[in-house]
Amino acid sequence: MKTIADTWPIVKGDYSVGNVKSRIAVVTLASQINPSPDAAIWGSSKTENLGVEKIIVNTISNSNIRYILVCGTESRGHLAGHSLLAIHANGIDEKGRIIGSKGAIPFIENISKEAVKRFQQQVVLLDKIGMTNPNEIMKIVKKYKDLEEVYPDEPFVATSQKKRRPTFAVPLSGDIIISEEFVMDADTGIIC
Amino acid sequence: MFKFQKEQEIVNIAGVKIGGQPGELPTVLAGTIFYNKHEIVEDAAKGLFDRVAAEKLINLQETNAEETGNPHIVHIFGTTPESITRYIDFVAEISEAPFLIDSPEGNVRSHAAEYVSEVGLADKAIYNSINLSINASEIEALALSDIDSSIILGFNATDSSLQGRMALLENGVDLLEEGLLSIADRCGIVNKLIDPSITPMGNGAGIALRMTITAKAKWGHPTGSGIHNAPSAWNWLNQKKEKDPILYKICDVGSTCLQQAAAGDFILYGPIEYTPYVFPMAAMSDIMISEAVADLDIEPAARHPVNLLV
Repeated sequence: MKTIADTWPIVKGDYSVGNVKSRIAVVTLASQINPSPDAAIWGSSKTENLGVEKIIVNTISNSNIRYILVCGTESRGHLAGHSLLAIHANGIDEKGRIIGSKGAIPFIENISKEAVKRFQQQVVLLDKIGMTNPNEIMKIVKKYKDLEEVYPDEPFVATSQKKRRPTFAVPLSGDIIISEEFVMDADTGIIC
Repeated sequence: MFKFQKEQEIVNIAGVKIGGQPGELPTVLAGTIFYNKHEIVEDAAKGLFDRVAAEKLINLQETNAEETGNPHIVHIFGTTPESITRYIDFVAEISEAPFLIDSPEGNVRSHAAEYVSEVGLADKAIYNSINLSINASEIEALALSDIDSSIILGFNATDSSLQGRMALLENGVDLLEEGLLSIADRCGIVNKLIDPSITPMGNGAGIALRMTITAKAKWGHPTGSGIHNAPSAWNWLNQKKEKDPILYKICDVGSTCLQQAAAGDFILYGPIEYTPYVFPMAAMSDIMISEAVADLDIEPAARHPVNLLV
């Protein structure tokens, strides 16, 4: 069975890749802590919306990952770590809001409920928010890096949709289109 | 360049004018002080900092504003009620400039709104910001305060398209019971500064540029952003930064011009240390834009860079 999506990690971010077959990934929240090659992927996450999305996308596209260590200093107001724990425990509602999150704007835009469900099923989160000691973090990575079997399903590719689709009816008047409502006349330079 | 058919509002906050047609007023520039990991901050929770260094930074911004004609705002960032109180006291003591009160936490913003009202500084304060996270208690605190200037942030976490951002301001889509502009009215906000919100590149940063034009065309309110957040959140650039810090600085400071070319009226340019680079960059853009609209019946202000530096 294929365990890792082509071109993994799928979405870019502030992370380092280690042993892609490791069972553990590490999220260091607002802290910058030197990565360990024993973890599959290791990086920071400061937001309760886009940051959470990226973690989910890069986790479920690698079936080897079964644990996520959530450590480092929580980002004030945003509560990125708390929001990650909340989406794993409770999922999202019909509007995309992370149920139970107290983060400032805890909404998911680019991934489906199915992707969230897969995330909930594939990994166990290790809540060590506040832990910043690299030695303690390394110990946990070492303990979990070979634990458990690979998740028994192929990688789930939930790429963020690039906003390249037309989203409005292009106005027929005006030389330069700004939006559905506004155009610019190139001769006069007037936006109307 | 271009001119808006819609009349463009000019607001006056503690003597600083913001808004108007492209090329009319110089771009207003706000540098951030006491930001996360700012080296002059000794204790971010208590608000202890190197006062001499902080005064130098604010004076530097003031001097650059005086020289180029680009007015300035001090962007205060605090994470606790205690720290933001100290920061506000300090900034108000050494500068006449208006200041932004900014915090990631609603209770800190609410406290700051109450505090500036108590000490008579509300007319100099700009609330940052009314956004999707606002709740009933924050609305009440802002409404009870004397603050009448606020940034209104178009960050729509479930629909980052141009329409999604505009709709959040206009009607709240299905995330709020009313639009953020309406909430601002209820809070007594007269001077509405629209910020289309800078999401990371790859997540629609560029949409903010088009929304700047669209928002001004639709409402006429002053519009601008913290556009430097796009390059500063760009991982590829951050990796290059280690080898060549100048490369990073060029992109960070240079992003200012993009927002100006898209009709931005104000820019939150990030670390106040970048003052010596941002002000000339912004002045250059202002001059170019002013010349570009010279035959559109737009008269630059007396203290516009085009009248001071060329």
